[in-house]
Amino acid sequence: MNRRTFLVTALAGTGALALGVNLYSPSYVGVNKHLNSEHQLLFSLLVPVFLDGALPQTESLRVAAQNRTIDAIVATMALLPTDARDELEQLLTLLESRLGLLLLTGSMTPLLLRTPNELIEMLEKWRSSYLDMMVTAYQGLRELVVASYYACPEHWGRLNYEKPILFS
Amino acid sequence: MAIQDPIVEGLAKGWNHIDASQVSAPLTLEADVVIVGSGAGGGVAAEIMAEAGLSVIIVEGGPLKSSESFNMEERRAYPNLYQQAASMKTKDKAIGIFQGRAVGGSTTVNWTTSIRTPDHALAFWAKEKSVKGLSTETLAPWFAKMEQRLNISKWEFEPNRNNMALKQGCEALGWEYTVIKRNVAGCWNTGYCGMGCPVNAKQSMLVTTIPAALERGATLVSRAKVAKIEYHQDKIFGLKAQALSQTLTPTGVELLFKAKHYILSAGAIHTPALMMRSKLPDPYGIIGKRTFLHPTVLSGALFNDAINGHSGAPQSIYSDQFVWQNGAAGDLGYKLEVPPVHPILIASKTLGYGQSHADLMAQFNQLQVTIALVRDGYHPDSQGGQVELTDHGFTLDYPLNNAFWEAARRAFASMAELQFAAGAEKVLPISEGMSMLSSWPQAKKAIAEMTLAPLKTIVASAHVMGGCPMGEDPKMSMVNSEGRSHYFDNLSVMDGSLFPTSLGANPQLSIYGITARNATLLAQELKLKS
Repeated sequence: MNRRTFLVTALAGTGALALGVNLYSPSYVGVNKHLNSEHQLLFSLLVPVFLDGALPQTESLRVAAQNRTIDAIVATMALLPTDARDELEQLLTLLESRLGLLLLTGSMTPLLLRTPNELIEMLEKWRSSYLDMMVTAYQGLRELVVASYYACPEHWGRLNYEKPILFS
Repeated sequence: MAIQDPIVEGLAKGWNHIDASQVSAPLTLEADVVIVGSGAGGGVAAEIMAEAGLSVIIVEGGPLKSSESFNMEERRAYPNLYQQAASMKTKDKAIGIFQGRAVGGSTTVNWTTSIRTPDHALAFWAKEKSVKGLSTETLAPWFAKMEQRLNISKWEFEPNRNNMALKQGCEALGWEYTVIKRNVAGCWNTGYCGMGCPVNAKQSMLVTTIPAALERGATLVSRAKVAKIEYHQDKIFGLKAQALSQTLTPTGVELLFKAKHYILSAGAIHTPALMMRSKLPDPYGIIGKRTFLHPTVLSGALFNDAINGHSGAPQSIYSDQFVWQNGAAGDLGYKLEVPPVHPILIASKTLGYGQSHADLMAQFNQLQVTIALVRDGYHPDSQGGQVELTDHGFTLDYPLNNAFWEAARRAFASMAELQFAAGAEKVLPISEGMSMLSSWPQAKKAIAEMTLAPLKTIVASAHVMGGCPMGEDPKMSMVNSEGRSHYFDNLSVMDGSLFPTSLGANPQLSIYGITARNATLLAQELKLKS
């Protein structure tokens, strides 16, 4: 996936938003914060990375699967207990602010401006970090994304899995 | 073909059920006995109390669901039927915990494995934990009674391919294995026990003891969270509860339950948490400590043929080859079982992301998974975890120490050896840094050198025990050997929190049998008083 496709895919279905807007929004970019109230844009960047290889090859199907997954993520988050949801919200908010990004990734570059390889590098750093906080951040996001993706029956085709039909 | 739904039918004919989410004004309910929780302990206690002619109220934090709503999809089952939508974790996030939260508790979603309390556990409790009167012989009639009540018998069908691998591996290596007894009647063998039985074959509390109690006039209050035990001197005089909404958040409506006797059956996390929230007397600092999980590690294996681990009885063979090998108090042992393989369960309990994870998931139907449940709580260095209260609820602090990791390493080796012996092409110990291993000699070396650590190694648990232990010595127990509080005349505990250690076996039948004994003794006493 080249960078341009990646950005287009990431933006499809979520509208033109900018991460890091709190401190970094250029005045000429119109941002509707309401549209990003559930972190859709952030997940539209992370979902293709976590699910690379699992998402359909055909672009329209891939975009549909990503959007479906983002909807499922929002639904999953609503079901989490207060403590877990608060922790996750904190993490997501940090990732959406430049100071938070600096803290978590060592760089203030908004995630939107990072290539897939740079995002993978970020996840790998967290995954192998000696700081438990980084590892749990990686694991929390990973579990949320993969669980939400495989929750959807329309994503089971590649597994050759379907639930039994008991009653006709 | 229509499936009989005992819940829908019972409600239609007038069972006393209050869905607290629908209650708009404060409510006080009174009975001879109030039971908190409707799982393995609460369900059995409710039936026995109601049969004895006592009036009973069962209070359950989760919703009342029935086979009508069990659609065999994890996305519906986990939020509806599990604590914290099946995402519960220990304080450091190193262990994922599956625990039921619905009428029927964990019995509504467990995998039906029914094992009597091991002799080793009972002997250890008698010798080291001041437990009296619970021996293999004295408990035998109670286990027999519950086995009959819940249709528990040996699963005579051919094991599914997932379990067959465990059997074949044991046979090839000369290891012990046992055919599991299951609590089912008219099972369709579909493999979806963990999402609620869609055909009501599983003899969970949801379709057995709870309906029986309701038939006898008991009242079930669902979506009501007991928040506080009210007491004065040596008497409990009420339970304060919050009505919960459809999404299980407090609605602001308060409920009050009053009874002659109170039974806590909320499970090994919530019973101690409720006691701690209520500040019950605990002079020796016991409540919530020594909570045990059977922390479990996983080994994946790829076979050439289709395993289809989602299909067929989820657990039908286990091996106790390594559970008690070093004696009860020796190095930690582990039980070998297999879990069912469903998309979310496996996607989240494996490692990595992107192409490597997608490649593993693409082989979903060739994936066999073996698990090793580590027997905790016997060795001096295996003290389990501790329930702690937080602003919004509770957390379980469960440090994984060297004694556990040594057992985990031995368990990974046993599982790999077993899987290769059963014909696996490749084996993957589920821990960061490990890749697919192609032979037992390669695996043996790699496992001996692998890094094992919290958050790096996947650890899960579906068994929560302890935290409110039984025994005759108040310095090491909160209740006596009949589950009666050392501090309150009218308080009992009947759930897995009673166990002074883990069991080294799946806990449901232990809870059924011990509760049947204790509830019968209590019912006799309460009847004499009334």
